[in-house]
Amino acid sequence: MTVKIRLDRMLFERRMSLSELADRVGVTTANLSILKTGRARAIRFSTLDALCVALDCQPGDLLEFVPGRLDDLNDTES
Amino acid sequence: MRALGPQSVSSFLKIALDVVYVAAVGVAAVVGPMIIALLIATPFTHSPLEFKLSGQVWVSPFSNATLIALMIGVETYIVCLVVVLNRIRRIVDTLIMGDPFRPENVGRLRWIGTGLIVLEIATDGLRWLVAHLPQAHPTPRAGESWFNPTAWFAVLVVFVLAEVFREGARLRQEAELTI
Repeated sequence: MTVKIRLDRMLFERRMSLSELADRVGVTTANLSILKTGRARAIRFSTLDALCVALDCQPGDLLEFVPGRLDDLNDTES
Repeated sequence: MRALGPQSVSSFLKIALDVVYVAAVGVAAVVGPMIIALLIATPFTHSPLEFKLSGQVWVSPFSNATLIALMIGVETYIVCLVVVLNRIRRIVDTLIMGDPFRPENVGRLRWIGTGLIVLEIATDGLRWLVAHLPQAHPTPRAGESWFNPTAWFAVLVVFVLAEVFREGARLRQEAELTI
């Protein structure tokens, strides 16, 4: 199974840049970039909470479950 | 005094290791050419080796073949020591930087473990060789063994430590990729 993050789509819908979101959430742009490109291994509840507040959305709007193996995702990352 | 970082115990350890490392490299650099010179200049026989020093003939107590075998054993030992010391120095470098859980340290620890195995085998080989020389040399008494359980246990500990570092490096990477 794989869980993908749809941060780029949410940013586009909110007409918001990554650096602006980084300022609002209090996470570095580099870390948000890791999250956006799907290289992150895990996300803290506090980060998810801050993202939801900044983007005015629900966690389900940010995360998407795609059936498949986690190894497949790791392979594509590396 | 701190254990990690600059001006710590690790820094002093690094200085001591550097001194021993340079000394070991120096000895290896001297013994290696001596073996090659002996192999080229003298026949590989069991007759005693003779040196002419300032007009006087000095006869070696060992045969030429024994001397070369001893020197090869010593050179193997020193080269392994250099490899082990070099890897320890690099690990200590990461300790000085305050970041020991790096994936490279896993490979370094495995090299140290392998080096210790070769060192132990070389030591036993040299002991065996010395014990079988024609002159009176210490040989294991009845009930005494050359097998050194402490050394082999140390080898095992190093390999276990390598796995600990592998897990530490994995956890660190996971923490880095947790946003």
